[in-house]
Amino acid sequence: MNTYLDRSTVPDRRFSRFIVFGLVVVLAVGALTARLFYLQIANGTEYAAISTRQRTVLEPIAAPRGLIYDRNGRLLVDNVPTFAVKIRPADLPNTQRDAVVARLGALLATDPSEIHGAIDGNLGSAFDLVRVAQDVDQATAQLISEAGFELPGVEVVVEARRRYTDGALMSHLLGYTGPVSAEQLPKLRDQGYQPDDLLGKVGLEAQYETELRGTYGSESVARDATGRRTQVLQTVEHAVPGASLTLTIDTKAQKDAEKALKWAMKKIGMTRGVVIAMNPQTGEILAMVSLPTYDNNEFARGISTADYAKLLTDKDKPLLNHAIQAHYAPGSTYKLVAGTGALDDREITPTTRVMTRPYLTLGDTKFYEWNRRGWGACDIYCGFGHSSDTFFYQLAGMLGIDRLGYWANQYGFGEPTGVDLPSEVSGIVPTNEWKQAALGAEVFPGETYQAGIGQGYDAVTPLQLINAYAALANGGTLYQPQIVRDIVGPDGAISRPFEPEVIHEMDVRSNVLRVMRNAARETVTLRHTYNLVDLPIKIAGKSGTAEFGTPDSRGRLPYSSFFVGFTPKDPFKGSFDKTDSELVVMAFAHDSRTVGNAATEIVKYFFQLHYGIEKDYRLPALLERGNFYQND
Amino acid sequence: MGVIRAEPARVTDWAAKSVGAAWRAFDLQLATFAGLLAAVGLVMAYTNSVEAGSSPLEAGTTFTRGLMWAGIAVLAFIVATSFDYRWLKTLSWPVYGLQLGLLVLTLLIGDGVGGSARWVTFGPFTFQFSELAKILMIIVLAQYLASRQAKLDSLRAILGACVLVGPPLILVMLQPDLGTSLVFGAILAGMLWMSGASLLWLGALGAGVVALIPIAWNYILLDYQKQRLTSFLDPATDISGAGYQLHQSQIAVGAGGLFGRGLTNGTQAQGDFLPVQTTDFVFSVLAEELGFVGGLVLFSLFALLLWRVLVAGWRSRDPFGTLFAAGIASMILFQLVVNVGMVMGIMPITGIPLPFVTHGGASLVSLAIGLGILQSINIRQRRAEW
Repeated sequence: MNTYLDRSTVPDRRFSRFIVFGLVVVLAVGALTARLFYLQIANGTEYAAISTRQRTVLEPIAAPRGLIYDRNGRLLVDNVPTFAVKIRPADLPNTQRDAVVARLGALLATDPSEIHGAIDGNLGSAFDLVRVAQDVDQATAQLISEAGFELPGVEVVVEARRRYTDGALMSHLLGYTGPVSAEQLPKLRDQGYQPDDLLGKVGLEAQYETELRGTYGSESVARDATGRRTQVLQTVEHAVPGASLTLTIDTKAQKDAEKALKWAMKKIGMTRGVVIAMNPQTGEILAMVSLPTYDNNEFARGISTADYAKLLTDKDKPLLNHAIQAHYAPGSTYKLVAGTGALDDREITPTTRVMTRPYLTLGDTKFYEWNRRGWGACDIYCGFGHSSDTFFYQLAGMLGIDRLGYWANQYGFGEPTGVDLPSEVSGIVPTNEWKQAALGAEVFPGETYQAGIGQGYDAVTPLQLINAYAALANGGTLYQPQIVRDIVGPDGAISRPFEPEVIHEMDVRSNVLRVMRNAARETVTLRHTYNLVDLPIKIAGKSGTAEFGTPDSRGRLPYSSFFVGFTPKDPFKGSFDKTDSELVVMAFAHDSRTVGNAATEIVKYFFQLHYGIEKDYRLPALLERGNFYQND
Repeated sequence: MGVIRAEPARVTDWAAKSVGAAWRAFDLQLATFAGLLAAVGLVMAYTNSVEAGSSPLEAGTTFTRGLMWAGIAVLAFIVATSFDYRWLKTLSWPVYGLQLGLLVLTLLIGDGVGGSARWVTFGPFTFQFSELAKILMIIVLAQYLASRQAKLDSLRAILGACVLVGPPLILVMLQPDLGTSLVFGAILAGMLWMSGASLLWLGALGAGVVALIPIAWNYILLDYQKQRLTSFLDPATDISGAGYQLHQSQIAVGAGGLFGRGLTNGTQAQGDFLPVQTTDFVFSVLAEELGFVGGLVLFSLFALLLWRVLVAGWRSRDPFGTLFAAGIASMILFQLVVNVGMVMGIMPITGIPLPFVTHGGASLVSLAIGLGILQSINIRQRRAEW
């Protein structure tokens, strides 16, 4: 017993212990082999698939965004490569976050809190890239790239950004692109958008997002455990570039419109205005300027929160396209509706004379003529030409509010025009039904009077107004205004050629519109619009002044002025008996308390510039601040 | 014990034997299997160096350092083989003192990850003394148990062995290095078993260890150690922490298939999906790149080596030799099972290196010394009498 290891005495115990030990070895190695078999042979295919899946990922290939040209082929926006700085939160250890963000903030010269905000506002997972800065200059991008080891999770990415050739001139039309928002992402993800993607936010960029974006491709990319791309394995699907747009806009007309509007605004000290020019034969918008504006390149570069807040809080709302996204009382320009209605409904004939007076009395309210005198017995030419309020009070009274509303709808008021720009408002055409629904009361006779002269509840967008006069000029076809002429596919072929879109043919006798065109010409020839008749071209049109807001200490309201004018196809020798006009122009001068009608001066200047009239017919004296109700 | 006895190891014994006789008793197979395993380790060091993106022959890579340590290991093996192991019996108390001294030194001046003290740095080299301490422990235990052959049915000798293992085990726990302290336990268990100690007392001892587990769990183990120990049960619960390593290493092993992806082609390793791929998880790289066939070759080499170690123990008519072989075999088997089991998700994460293959100089040199002593035992046996 005591010498167990001496096999001569107790060999059996020594032997059994060796046997058991040996068995343990065999069992252990056998168990390991079995497990290895289970992993590699029985489930090998599955593990290989997991391994492939986690190291390769399908990444999108951005498609070059479509370009935008004006009607003459001038490039309005293109794509330029820029450096963006992005962070993959998963790669940024929490313990180092403050230090990395502080360092990055110093390199980018931005407030670290903005970078923190961007990381915290990350829409995707921690493995998705978050854009913290874009349009970084090359030197900074290089510094950040080289500091890679000290900036874990930070990546410098080359991406394309939009460069808007004319900046502020076209901002309201083109809009801009910006990062996908939290609300948009869930829906857009299904369409292949990435959390750090850019997309059209406003203007044509938003309206034609689908066409401009193109189709993203995809490539399978090998990545390591941290998610960094190590190599591109293969292109799965090639990206298809976005389609390009050719606009109806003529850059020269756009510049002329802006120049004319800016001139008057500066002269008057006015802060808000619109000029639109369009072809009444097709609905093509040649120019659309809304001031104040902003530079969409700032958005393309990544606008700072402070600058954006400034734009948002500006009282004149520079981010709003006042041509379509705001409505205003149209004033006397709206007399077109009552005039057309009264003639077509045979309330009056072209020769019917209606007595104009210093004022009309309704109950105990006096409804004044704008010049407090009147012009005696007036036919439609006299009434429209002098813009007689008492004349049109009476016409509105003959028609009644609902018939007036009907004719307003015929001219396209009360409905969005359907122009291919986002966020258009519809304006207001008061009728009994409308007032019941909106205010729970019926329309009083005095309100019908107001509606007849474009005051009271009437509200139109500048685009609706010009479109109504375009229908007058072309003989009764209400076109849908359009900004985009052709959509050009990535292969250079036109994939959607321009086609005029008709909203409706007005249900009106053609001679009624001929009378109204000549009445509009009368406005000019009667010198209601001062020297507009002296220009070598023939212009017909209508001015308007509309009160708004709250009265001053002397009970006077501020007012805005309008003018819409059109020329015959041959502006020098043409006639308004014809329906061949190819140019309608309108101006809206908000809060323009001037001696003369500011909008008329703006349109006059535009015509001068547009037709290359060398003699200057502008009357700056009319733009002096002053007399209320001197002109209408 | 107590007095250093020079008597059993007479210098003349060795000198009297011819070199030829010694060479005949030398176990060439044992040396070959060990050498092949070390070669596998070098191959893995090579593939890891390539995947780390460096030219493998550059100074300072895993591969060149591996080559250097392999050279040192060969020298250590030759020296240990030449050295008469019987001196170790005489010197067992100083050996024990050396062991404790090295472990205390490690605690005092050692470095490690995150405030631990695992290895000592000499200039450009680092050395993990706890690896050498395992071999020294085997020497001390072998001598202790061999000299108490007569009393092994009593509880006293068994407890004495436990008391001997206690201090080094605690010193290693303090580093803290849970894995190595478990290896000490495995060595003790294997050697007690092979010493022929009474089954009754061994069973009682085992029951006592089991009873101690809840206490150790609640008062001794650190939180991260507990987390690592349990995460293998359900890696998915902790996919970004301890479970991540397990998850990724299983994917790597599984993706290897029958023949593997080929050396240096392991995508799991290249993509840095595998953590600590040169050390504790080296087997997952091997399995991914060399496949089931490569894994079988490795297991076979280990099985053959263990066989030769056990044969050496069986042949030794000196109880010290038998017990030393048992200690070496226990150590290698335990580390193999726990390390490879961990990589394949059937053992907890303990941070135990895979003998020969895991990159690490101390481990390889210590193994070479252990196997060298075993060869010394082989060639210093008189011819079998049976």
